[in-house]
Amino acid sequence: MTTYLIRRVLLLIPTFFGITLLTFLLVREAPGNIALVKGGGGATGSRPMTAEQRETLIKFYGLDKPPLVGYAAWLQRFVFHLDLGDSWLDDRPVVTKITERLGLTASLAGSALLLSYLIAIPLGVIAAIKRGQFADRAISFTVFVLYSIPTFAAALLLIMLVAGGDYLNLLPMYGANSINASEMGPLAWTWDRIKHLILPVICLTYASLSYISRYARVSMLDALAQDFVRTARAKGLPERLVILRHALRNALIPVITVFALELPVLIGGAVIIEEIFSLPGMGQLMFQSLEAHDDMTTMGITVFVSILTLLGYLLADILYVVVDPRIRYE
Amino acid sequence: MNPPEAIHESYTRRIWRRFHADTMARNGFRTIIVLFIIAALAPFLANSHAIVRVAHGRVTFPVFPSLEPIEWRFLLYVPLAGLAWLLRRRLLTRPWRGAGLLLAVIVLIEIWLAYHHVVNDPSNDRDRPATFKWMPLVAYSPLETASEPFLPPSWTHPCGTDSTGRDIAARMLHGARTSLSIGFVAQSIALSVGVTLGSLAGYYRRWLDIVICRLIEIMDCFPPLLLVLVAISLTESQNHMFYIMVVIGLTTWTGVARLVRGEFLRLSNLPFTLAAQAGGAGDLRVIVRHILPNALGPILVVGTFGVASAILLESSLSFLGFGMQAPTPSWGDILNESRLYIDFAWWLAFFPGFAILITIMSYNFVGEGLRDAVDPRLRIK
Repeated sequence: MTTYLIRRVLLLIPTFFGITLLTFLLVREAPGNIALVKGGGGATGSRPMTAEQRETLIKFYGLDKPPLVGYAAWLQRFVFHLDLGDSWLDDRPVVTKITERLGLTASLAGSALLLSYLIAIPLGVIAAIKRGQFADRAISFTVFVLYSIPTFAAALLLIMLVAGGDYLNLLPMYGANSINASEMGPLAWTWDRIKHLILPVICLTYASLSYISRYARVSMLDALAQDFVRTARAKGLPERLVILRHALRNALIPVITVFALELPVLIGGAVIIEEIFSLPGMGQLMFQSLEAHDDMTTMGITVFVSILTLLGYLLADILYVVVDPRIRYE
Repeated sequence: MNPPEAIHESYTRRIWRRFHADTMARNGFRTIIVLFIIAALAPFLANSHAIVRVAHGRVTFPVFPSLEPIEWRFLLYVPLAGLAWLLRRRLLTRPWRGAGLLLAVIVLIEIWLAYHHVVNDPSNDRDRPATFKWMPLVAYSPLETASEPFLPPSWTHPCGTDSTGRDIAARMLHGARTSLSIGFVAQSIALSVGVTLGSLAGYYRRWLDIVICRLIEIMDCFPPLLLVLVAISLTESQNHMFYIMVVIGLTTWTGVARLVRGEFLRLSNLPFTLAAQAGGAGDLRVIVRHILPNALGPILVVGTFGVASAILLESSLSFLGFGMQAPTPSWGDILNESRLYIDFAWWLAFFPGFAILITIMSYNFVGEGLRDAVDPRLRIK
């Protein structure tokens, strides 16, 4: 196990280099650059700039050097000083920019994950117990339809139906807080924030919910077919206890490990959701820095997300062993 | 079916029979066929030109001269589908030669024709006098800005009009081509990359396996949408349908590669592989003729799910403004536009959203049915 773990962790290193190198080359080779953006003609540029000034900027950001040299410089700073550099757009440290936005994305993804587990597991268990009956078919079909709805279409329809306009006006449409949020007390502020996050969280929840509940159903079906469940029934335990104590506990093992794999999916989903709901989270930051050719911020977010994902995969592998002693890696 | 036939039933035939017994899968499959027919016939369903026009004693078919190269493309599917139907027995018994050839032809046609674009043609037959004329179901072309903006759904405009007075129904019918062909071609590309790399990793193992696994891990660490976003911004010619197909294909092959690698790891130790190797078969022959056919079922399953996710990815891209550029109609693009007018124009968001949902759901149902048909034990994932 220890050997396996060491090997596993060591293999993360080339992967990490590969990810950062790929991102660096992609953002560097993309048409347009920060000098064009700042000097007009780009996404946010407004001031006209002379060709000379533009040259200076290109030199300043090292864009005149070959991409591999730039990558080496970036890598050296990151590996030896753990420094992700400053944003090219507003010269603030990338780490600060990310941490500012991390809270919102984390609360979005976290509550979506929690909610989807809370709803998905009972759904999956009921579907498995009532296998082939009406309840199973109804749940499976609903979950399947949910799984096929594109997040952005759902978000648009939800906004249209419940957030203002000609129809219901129950929830706010955009942003993470109301305009006057700074004048609110802590309680009112929290309530305001919750109201703003309801729709985004619903949109993020339903997709992973359908995935997890399908997984939970299969896992529960597997568990119900096991010998120990037959034994539990044979010794006369009430069905409720058989299901809750014997089958469910074993069925949960694979379901819980899925959470590590859900992380990148949620972060990816957050990009679109944050864009639609104008939420100042990490996804939106990624989107903006891509558009503005702010290579430093893009790299910073990539590093952050890839480390998170790699750790998630690692955690999933370890969790398999921890929760199920039968699995052994050699 | 009597027992002797059941015993000699081929693998493909058994899969097909099991698949056909699944109601949802069957309905999904039929829906996809209907969608492809709609896409193929889009210029005859939504066009400003009459299908038949009788005036001054002459009978003309104005719809045909108005067809662009892109419009002929889906029409080519009709003879292809007929061919497939005629050869169905051959296709079912010898899946490799027939199906592979057919797939290759379709992909080639797709890639070749992906270069063409819809061109705006201001003329129309709606107001021209005639003794007799038979207009298409929707008497508007997808790029025509002929009507009042923001008309709610009505008999003349079944799905309403958008901010510039274009008919949404016409745009949706033509947009079906974008979604369906991108899904299909992108996934074909992903399948070829995934199968190649996966079989190499699974067959040769050792350092090749380690390298390819790192590559898969690297690709998997990016949220797919982000990777495609960055890759798309690499080019100036963003409205190149071909480019979008390639980018989506080259960024979504990891699932296939993982699966194929796993299958190869499993199959390359089985007696039949060892027998082939002992008989002196070369590596290529063992991989292509012996192992791959045995892994075909699961590959088909991921491939089908992959088409659904490619369509989803394309519409997400168009929705974010990175996909097919205006004026080429695409479902994601209509949805993107609807964001600005979400307050009152529900039809702008509802119809394209519903179309995407139906398409993705059908593919998912087919994938689910195939999975159960291929291997009832393969239910997880």
